[in-house]
Amino acid sequence: MADFVQLVILGLLAGGVYVAVGVGFGLVWGVLNIVNLAHGALVIVGGYITWQLFTSLHLDPFLTLPVDAVALFVLGYVLQRGVINRIIRAPLLFTFLLTFGLNLVIVNVLLLVFGSDFRSVTPSYSGQGLELGSVVIPYVRLMSLFAAILLAAALALVLNRTRIGLAIGAIASDRDAAQLVGIDLRHAYAVTFGLGAACAGVAGGLIAMIQAITPSAGEPYTLQAFVVVILGGLGRVSATVVGGLAFGLVEVFAQSIPGSGSVFANAIAFGLMVLVLVTRPQGLMGRLH
Amino acid sequence: MIAQGLRDRRWRRIFLIVGVVVAAYALLAPLTSLDFAQSANVPLLADRLWFRLATYIAMFIVMATAWNIIGGITGYAAFGNVAFFGIGAYTTGMLIAKAKWPFLAALPFAPVVSALFAALVGLPLLRLRGHYFAVASLGVGVAVGELVQNIDYGGQPLFGGASGLFLPIFSIDNRGLFFFYLMVAAAAVAIFATRWVLRSRFGYGLIAIRENEEAAAVIGVNTTSYKVAAFALAAALTGLAGGIFSQWNVFINQDNAFPIEYNVQMILMALLGGTGTVFGPAAGAVLLQLLIQFLGGSLPISVDIPFVSTAARPIVAQVILGLLLVAVVIFVPRGVIDFFGGRSRLSLSYLRRSLRETSL
Repeated sequence: MADFVQLVILGLLAGGVYVAVGVGFGLVWGVLNIVNLAHGALVIVGGYITWQLFTSLHLDPFLTLPVDAVALFVLGYVLQRGVINRIIRAPLLFTFLLTFGLNLVIVNVLLLVFGSDFRSVTPSYSGQGLELGSVVIPYVRLMSLFAAILLAAALALVLNRTRIGLAIGAIASDRDAAQLVGIDLRHAYAVTFGLGAACAGVAGGLIAMIQAITPSAGEPYTLQAFVVVILGGLGRVSATVVGGLAFGLVEVFAQSIPGSGSVFANAIAFGLMVLVLVTRPQGLMGRLH
Repeated sequence: MIAQGLRDRRWRRIFLIVGVVVAAYALLAPLTSLDFAQSANVPLLADRLWFRLATYIAMFIVMATAWNIIGGITGYAAFGNVAFFGIGAYTTGMLIAKAKWPFLAALPFAPVVSALFAALVGLPLLRLRGHYFAVASLGVGVAVGELVQNIDYGGQPLFGGASGLFLPIFSIDNRGLFFFYLMVAAAAVAIFATRWVLRSRFGYGLIAIRENEEAAAVIGVNTTSYKVAAFALAAALTGLAGGIFSQWNVFINQDNAFPIEYNVQMILMALLGGTGTVFGPAAGAVLLQLLIQFLGGSLPISVDIPFVSTAARPIVAQVILGLLLVAVVIFVPRGVIDFFGGRSRLSLSYLRRSLRETSL
């Protein structure tokens, strides 16, 4: 029983990262209809910013998260406005290839700047944890779960309570009508992608505290973000939160089966995705349009 | 109008002649490495490096042409075809290394196993459309490589594990020559298969699916079996290339049998050359593979990139490749060969028009 409780807690904690990775990806996919294959690369850019600020300025890694968000928002805004907007009406294969190309560029520029060494962010409290009976909860994991939920809540707030957020929602439901009522599509699209990238940056900051990162460490997260969004259901932030936590639980439980290991992470993610797509295409929380 | 037509025809003829000359040279040059040619003082036109490069190009012709069947003709953006390459490589590799079969007996199993696997995963996957199919097939590509590397049986890695699989060297005179012609034969098979598909009832069904799947179903195309057949055909051809690769390279592991970047390279090749055509993907494969090798510094003719050290060169090559991918996707959505084929001319207005068609 204690094992079961521990697995549930570990699963939810692991899910925190997937929530953070998933919300930005889901926003971009839901509104812009782009499956952003560079999402994992953007995540790792955030990770490197946190690492750089932590090693050179000795900032607490959690304080670097807003910096990640702002820097990645700017990068995302520029990418969408300058590049992705140019092919937004092309068939899906083109957006796929384009974002893959961006992924290639970002990963290799990171390789040129930071090299291929493993980098990790280890604040003084990284080894400590909260002991609840036989269950130990690492502080960093706990904090990052809170940060991820906070991030999702902030995103939902921006989308539901601000003028630009409502404009983004309008575009998601009907692009032409949104344009008719005077929404500047180019700007709103760029803000959407920027918000998605900002979420990726925060996710990267969290990931840098949990695992050692390399420039190519973001690639599995792209596929996992996709699975998380499908699992929860496309179109709402809250659905992605559920999807992320559920994905964390599935992963932790699958890895606790003897004989399997973390080496099968992608195979598990993929199998789960096909299962959901075939049995419940609208996701756990989704609404079919 | 007439002058335009004449000029276009002239361009097409020039392009055809250049293509035939290059192909003839590429096919005949390796013969100069044979012993009797050397003893007759024929200049050596193909060395070890040449064989390696030419065989790689032929391998990519197979993969790009095969992708074109499912991605270009059927319109399903498969992003995980490298899984079939790897399955082909490991099928042949396992039969040779573990079961001690001779190479030529093991090779036919590569396309068969790849096609069976494609049919199996194709049945659920091809029900998905758009993004869902693309990412699900990408997932297959990643997951199969991971499974092959990590599956244990009785405590031993079943497929050689992380240390890979070593094959005995295939003993034949002029090995480089043999594998080059074998890969060229596979490329010819792929191109003829495409030609056959495009002229058959099957191909018309696939094109109908690409243009409008519901309408295709209404006029009596059995869309599921057509799609699965197209997927399996593409997988068989890709698997054949993988099977040849495993014995040619003698060593296979997850990195060289399931490289994720091949997924994108084969698509980019088909796109550069023009999707849905017979020779387009092959032409794109030659262009892009030469470019990749040139940027990587492994061609005899190479140019130093300023401010870049030799160590950083492969990384910079990847950056350039990524930027090129972005540029091609933005400016030339219908493929570079479009210009040479005489359907449109490379001009500023063409670039501006394709930008306007797709941008916001």
